[in-house]
Amino acid sequence: MTVAQLPTEALRLPVEAVYAAELEALKRDDAQPKPQGWAMSPRAALIYLMGGKAADGTPISAKYVGDKRLIETAIATLATDRALLLLGMPGTAKSWVSEHLAAAVSGDSTLVIQCTAGTDENQIRYGWNYAQLLAHGPSRKALVQTPLLRAMEAGKLCRLEELTRMGSDVQDTLITVLSEKMMPVPELSTAVYAVRGFNVIATANNRDKGVNELSSALKRRFNVVVLPLPDDMEQEIGIVVKRVGEMSQALELPAPRNVAQEVARVVAIFRELRGGATLDGKVTLKSPSGTLSTAEAIGVVIGGLSHAAFFNGGALSAEGIAPNMVGAIVKDPVQDKVVLEEYLETVLKKRSDYAAYYHLLSDLV
Amino acid sequence: MAAKLRVFGIRHHGPGSARRLVEALDELSPALVLIEGPADASELLPLLADPAMVPPVALLTYATDNPARASFWPFATYSPEYQAACWAKRRGAVMRFIDIPASSRLAPAKREGVSGGTPGEPSAEENAPTVESEPGSAHPIERDPIGALAAAGGYEDGESWWRDVIEENPEPSPVFGAIAEAMTALREAAPVPQGHEAAREAHMRLAIAKAAKESDGPIAVVCGAWHVPALEAKVPAGADRALLKNATKAKIVATFAPWTSPRLALASGYGAGVPRPGWCAHLWETPAGEIATRWLARIAAALRENGHLVSTASLIEAERLAVALASLRGRPAPGFEELREAAISCLCFGETLLWRTISPGLLLGSEVGSIPANVPLAPLLEDLAREQKRLRLKPEALDRELALDLRSESGAERSTLLHRLLLLGVNWGRLADAGRSRGTFRERWVLRWEPEFAVKLVENLVHGTTIAKAASGCLHARFSEARELKALADLVFAALTARLPDAVELGIAMLEKRAAQTSDCVELLAALPPLADTLRYGEARAADAAQLAALQTRILVQGALVLPYAARGLDASAAASLRAIIMNADAALRLAELGDDEHSAWRGALAALLKDTQATALIAGTAARLLYQAGELAPEEAALHLGRALSPGRAVAEAAGFFEGFFEGAGERLIHDKALRDAVDAWIQSLDGELFIEHLPLFRRAFANLDRMQRRRLLDALIGRATASLPGRELRPEAEAIWPRHLQRLGALLTGTLKTEKER
Repeated sequence: MTVAQLPTEALRLPVEAVYAAELEALKRDDAQPKPQGWAMSPRAALIYLMGGKAADGTPISAKYVGDKRLIETAIATLATDRALLLLGMPGTAKSWVSEHLAAAVSGDSTLVIQCTAGTDENQIRYGWNYAQLLAHGPSRKALVQTPLLRAMEAGKLCRLEELTRMGSDVQDTLITVLSEKMMPVPELSTAVYAVRGFNVIATANNRDKGVNELSSALKRRFNVVVLPLPDDMEQEIGIVVKRVGEMSQALELPAPRNVAQEVARVVAIFRELRGGATLDGKVTLKSPSGTLSTAEAIGVVIGGLSHAAFFNGGALSAEGIAPNMVGAIVKDPVQDKVVLEEYLETVLKKRSDYAAYYHLLSDLV
Repeated sequence: MAAKLRVFGIRHHGPGSARRLVEALDELSPALVLIEGPADASELLPLLADPAMVPPVALLTYATDNPARASFWPFATYSPEYQAACWAKRRGAVMRFIDIPASSRLAPAKREGVSGGTPGEPSAEENAPTVESEPGSAHPIERDPIGALAAAGGYEDGESWWRDVIEENPEPSPVFGAIAEAMTALREAAPVPQGHEAAREAHMRLAIAKAAKESDGPIAVVCGAWHVPALEAKVPAGADRALLKNATKAKIVATFAPWTSPRLALASGYGAGVPRPGWCAHLWETPAGEIATRWLARIAAALRENGHLVSTASLIEAERLAVALASLRGRPAPGFEELREAAISCLCFGETLLWRTISPGLLLGSEVGSIPANVPLAPLLEDLAREQKRLRLKPEALDRELALDLRSESGAERSTLLHRLLLLGVNWGRLADAGRSRGTFRERWVLRWEPEFAVKLVENLVHGTTIAKAASGCLHARFSEARELKALADLVFAALTARLPDAVELGIAMLEKRAAQTSDCVELLAALPPLADTLRYGEARAADAAQLAALQTRILVQGALVLPYAARGLDASAAASLRAIIMNADAALRLAELGDDEHSAWRGALAALLKDTQATALIAGTAARLLYQAGELAPEEAALHLGRALSPGRAVAEAAGFFEGFFEGAGERLIHDKALRDAVDAWIQSLDGELFIEHLPLFRRAFANLDRMQRRRLLDALIGRATASLPGRELRPEAEAIWPRHLQRLGALLTGTLKTEKER
């Protein structure tokens, strides 16, 4: 499906449609050398991701806010025809970055395979159209192409979302594709060879328990870029306040006036526990086993908002937030409890403006 | 000028400029090499190029009357200054230092007034040994202008910038000419040097002019790039002399000291250092074409050493990624940053943490320099000789006993010196009554001097120039090696006894950090006794004591929180060792002055142990005993707990554990504590015959370590014979009147306020 064919009433358009003007501007006067099969040069792709100005002066918005070096490494990886693995906690913009990279490098971010525990080899390699198979016997026509196969034939980027969620045996079907850039079709005694420009971007979550480990053979075939949580407090508070605002509108929850204040407290507690030190850097702390990502902070505040709207007369308070917070922090009933208790006793106890949190959390623990 | 003169602006500790400098010297073939460095240490220059001198070493100058006032000029193999000296020695050229003499740099006070310097110059420098080759310059741009240019160009690593911009310049031009031009442009924008800086440059100009008059052959000047424009400038000699006129001078001694490569690093507080000595050494040692490959191979080796799997194929991919990154950034070849990022992505699977665990070893290196035998005497030996004279302690090869009264000034100072030497590994004195050193005001030492102590002192020179400074530096190093809280707490105690306040400060900070990281109950509780000792013997200054007390509270609270979890499912030996640790911690806490909160935290943990059905029985018994001792548990309650623990439903081994935990070492208590005895007695009597016989081995075990006399007294107590006193002895009626006076005298004797004749 090309951009032109997309229905205009679509709930969400692919990024190459949303940012078509920026992509066009970057491609127009791209004088830098382009790897074969790429829609634009690596340097133009870097500008597309990090923001800046196109050669003709068109302003380009920043798609990723954070360390430029990470994006540089990601783009350089794709330029060496090595597969790219984006690792990170939930809510660190992995899929967002992979979508934009695909849009910039091959102009098409729609070749996606969502990996789940139910994904089997047929969804990675190819499947069979059984009606065709029975009527005419095995042939290319009877082959159902997966996004991966289409990407190989078209010389585009294929995105694998949440790679580690599919079984290890299925993951390993990728090994030949990644190292030899071809996919054998033994039923037809043939093989599909990837066209230049083909590559794979996979994303995976590095904190969840219960997902399948990557085999070392497969891991070795990826260059890994770990996307971190935001390192600036103000930036993170900004993200949370913005998302909370959007979500409370969608859920039709009225936003009380003191949201920003409470968000600052929640983010401060999350950052201290996550970072293993108080914000003033004076006391080192232990971190709980959970991720405490920005996304979870958003969830905690939303929970507090709904408590405020339905039970607390519209006022956002520690009573509504603290129970959600315990749920986010204490993931392991033994270890994390000790971590939280220690944090309460050594840090929060001494802060007068956190007294409500201290008492509520102590009671809940 | 008579002779041909070239000024080579170099980057201090820059392997790139060292390599170019050697080539340039080969080309110029000077008869005289002038190097930036203290002019009055010139006679030591040939020694620097001595084959027995293994960098990293530092040229050290210190004031004769006060070794604490010292300056270091470190040299690494890849330092251009060192290479220039080696070149001159090889070619038989004369070499000389031309910077302002150390004698005026180390002169006490009023330096500002003399050289017209800025009044705001840091006076701390006067007393602290300064480590610098560009002394006194506050602006980073003056210390490392090339690094500043690199940073402006978006480079983290000055050496990569040097290579990309200076050496790979598409229009080949003489490297040193390009540097001089860049510096001229930089200095035009910077303020005119004032004070000490101006005096230094004046001195260098005069020295160069003088050398030019004397020498027939070409002259090479090797100095920091920043100074090139100033040294080439035409300034009337009279103006320069005016700047240097009536500079105060101190008597100084110059020598060499072994140095270490981690100390060359910026992070260790050395202003003109290099951020990554290991990387610089790699650049110097490796042929230009193989830098990336060999660096990645070294990273792989370090990773493999740490037990990580790194394949050769990954190395190939890492190098490809580095090259691609360099081209994305528009750089001609991968530099330090590209290699680092490629290594993280391909070899460490994206984990920066993994990189951080291996990088210190790679980046800082672990080389320790050594100096030839014929260098002048080291300041530590001189300092020791001075201290020995001051404190009237003679080094003798025979064992000699020395009793010190720590209440007197001289006694305390002697003790401090001996303790400091112990920290340096110089066991001149051994504590005769080892163990608690400041429990009393008295220390007994056995002194014996061994010749190898002198060698030990020279080795310790790397830590500092006086005994106090070296001991403190040595402790700093040991703090960073210590892994456990207890080891750290012991070191803090050692630092306090040796009266090293800055080491104490660092130790407390390290303790805090470690306390936060650990959740190991054993480690936390084991640290309490040394902390309590430290606090109790009052060696700490008020500020440190407050901090230590807060720390003790914190460790206590943390330990108390994890104690119930740590006490679950232990085997016999683990339970026994935890019991010992709990008992020690409790004993320490009883002696420490704690607030109610802390006491209640500790007792809360003990109570939780007692309630927790999963807790190992021995530990639960111990907790019951400690709570009972502290008066938190009434005798009836204790008996109730005993009864519950020993009820028929519980396994005999567990019951025995609880009983043992409670009574081990507490036989005496049963004799004297009537309430407890009655409660236990009541419980035992309530057992029916069969159960009693079943528990009999247990009782036997608990009372086995009472001696015969004690057992008899217990029995007497039980059947109500002569209650309080020993059998066969009666209290005389008049004793009651004498007793209070006697008690008073005893008290005075024990607290040391009453002195016997002998002590006076």
